[in-house]
Amino acid sequence: MILSSTIAKSKYNGIVLTGMSMGLLIIGILSLSAGAYSISFSQTIQILLDQVGLASQEINTSASNVLLQIRLPRILIATLIGGGLGISGAALQGMFRNPLVEPGLIGVSSGSALFAVIFIVFFSQLLNNFPLINQLGLPLFAFIGGLINVLAVYRLSRGQGKTDTATLILAGVAINALAGSLIGLSLFFADDSALRSFTFWSLGDLGSSSWTKFPTALLLIGLPAILLLTEARNLNALSLGEREAFHMGISIQRVKLRLLILSALIVGIGVSIAGMIGFVGLVVPHLIRIGFGANHRIVLPASFLLGAILLNLADLIARTAVAPAELPIGVLTALIGTPFFIWLIFKLNLSKN
Amino acid sequence: MLQATHIHFCIRQRPIVREASMEVKPGEIMAILGPNGAGKSTLFRLLAGELKCTRGKINYNGASIEGLKPKELATVRAVMPQHSTVNFPFTAQEVIELGNSSHQASHPEKNLQEVMKLTQTSFFKDSLYQNLSGGEKQRVQLARVLLQIWEKKPFPRYLLLDEPTSSLDISQQHLVLNILQKLKNQNIGILVILHDLNLAAHYADRIALLKDGQVAAIGKVKEVFKESLLSDVFDHPIRLIHHLESDQVLVSSNEFYNYPLKTTKQA
Repeated sequence: MILSSTIAKSKYNGIVLTGMSMGLLIIGILSLSAGAYSISFSQTIQILLDQVGLASQEINTSASNVLLQIRLPRILIATLIGGGLGISGAALQGMFRNPLVEPGLIGVSSGSALFAVIFIVFFSQLLNNFPLINQLGLPLFAFIGGLINVLAVYRLSRGQGKTDTATLILAGVAINALAGSLIGLSLFFADDSALRSFTFWSLGDLGSSSWTKFPTALLLIGLPAILLLTEARNLNALSLGEREAFHMGISIQRVKLRLLILSALIVGIGVSIAGMIGFVGLVVPHLIRIGFGANHRIVLPASFLLGAILLNLADLIARTAVAPAELPIGVLTALIGTPFFIWLIFKLNLSKN
Repeated sequence: MLQATHIHFCIRQRPIVREASMEVKPGEIMAILGPNGAGKSTLFRLLAGELKCTRGKINYNGASIEGLKPKELATVRAVMPQHSTVNFPFTAQEVIELGNSSHQASHPEKNLQEVMKLTQTSFFKDSLYQNLSGGEKQRVQLARVLLQIWEKKPFPRYLLLDEPTSSLDISQQHLVLNILQKLKNQNIGILVILHDLNLAAHYADRIALLKDGQVAAIGKVKEVFKESLLSDVFDHPIRLIHHLESDQVLVSSNEFYNYPLKTTKQA
């Protein structure tokens, strides 16, 4: 009886994940055809079929260029970043044992942004002759900044083997404020172009996505995300507490270090490509837990898929709402995410009383 | 055998556990008793491997605890702390299955079923852990730690419990301790911190009395349960009432009973 219920459950999880993947695919194709340059849905399908050698009729080259060179890399990168934010949010929440943890709230994003700005303002000019180092330096710096901040917040908020919610939030506020002021200080030395990119870091923007950035994103967001998936068992054990996880045979220090590095990597690379995009990492794991339970075997992959869906949806709105201009995507996720989150808090409070 | 020899533990030069020695044999229930602040929980955490002794040795089946990795340690002993909270909506069964976190059991489903039957947790297995009553939560936690060491191994396993009955009503207390008693014939040694002297007298095979970080006395119930010794350890007058027919000891504070009881005899 138990055996059958376990199988039924993993079958159910499989259906959920397949459904979400289908949803992501549909939104991806929808996003390909929508935008300032209109491409009909059937044309989109044809261009895609042409790419795999199944063309049935002549296709428009400029439409094909817009679709394949501009929209496709952007959608793929949005998928990786959105998914990455979702899965790293889920992992950090599990590790801190706190549903309020979010890469933005605890300072990972601002740390990444700070180091990215420092790199652009102080190093980018120096390294102009070394394009490869210049291209890798930015994500590397962003990762280091995120890692420093998440370690700092983790150290500050811990006492007696537990993370206290109030201290955690306060530590996050402090670290965010410090990073913000240091960004301001760096900008004092910056030229006009660096100033413009600051607006970009703070609001989030997928507009600069291109095929050249895709390999970095695929390798440094995709791979860590897959590695996070293998931590489901450890995260489940950790949700009972660090003491309990140790009793159950988990080498908690190593596991925590792995989780912190992988999450900082994902968020840092995301920030270096698209700036700070808030609330995806907070809202997505919540929704998944409400819908499908807290087992990380489902929470981790489903958070990736839902994060990818939400960010693509937000980007679709950002590109089409005020076309031919674009809204910053971070503004949109916060605009949708915040009221939703407030509603969530109310609902959780109501169900408690 | 779980063996602690002359273990010593200090926090900032202040000794919390002093030269304590004790052992837990497979198939027995060893209860640790002592007043608040006697160092019971610290001793417990030392034995569980959470803290490292300043001096002294702890061995599990002859192997030093220092040489065991968390994963290896988890196959010889399971630990049930006093309070475990779960912040996310896990079901009771999911919490129990966490007992399988670090090892691949050969019959996970059979083990799960047996453990849930013993702890009477199967009928609310699909409920959310957060919504369970205190007694149900405690049984779920007990099921989880049992699952971890449930499979028969060529070596004895140990179960360490820190006040498993602290927040339970009287029937739940006996339910939990009865479960522990059923484990004795499975080559499992049980170490349990208890607050209730009567429960300890009823269920323990041996008792260690702890005071100021030292083992004040260790031995069978009859050897340790002496009025003067208990009164001294707990700094409170304690009176033992021996039930004539069942050979049971009842513990009472004698502050208000300064007269001889007809049905009792002095120890």
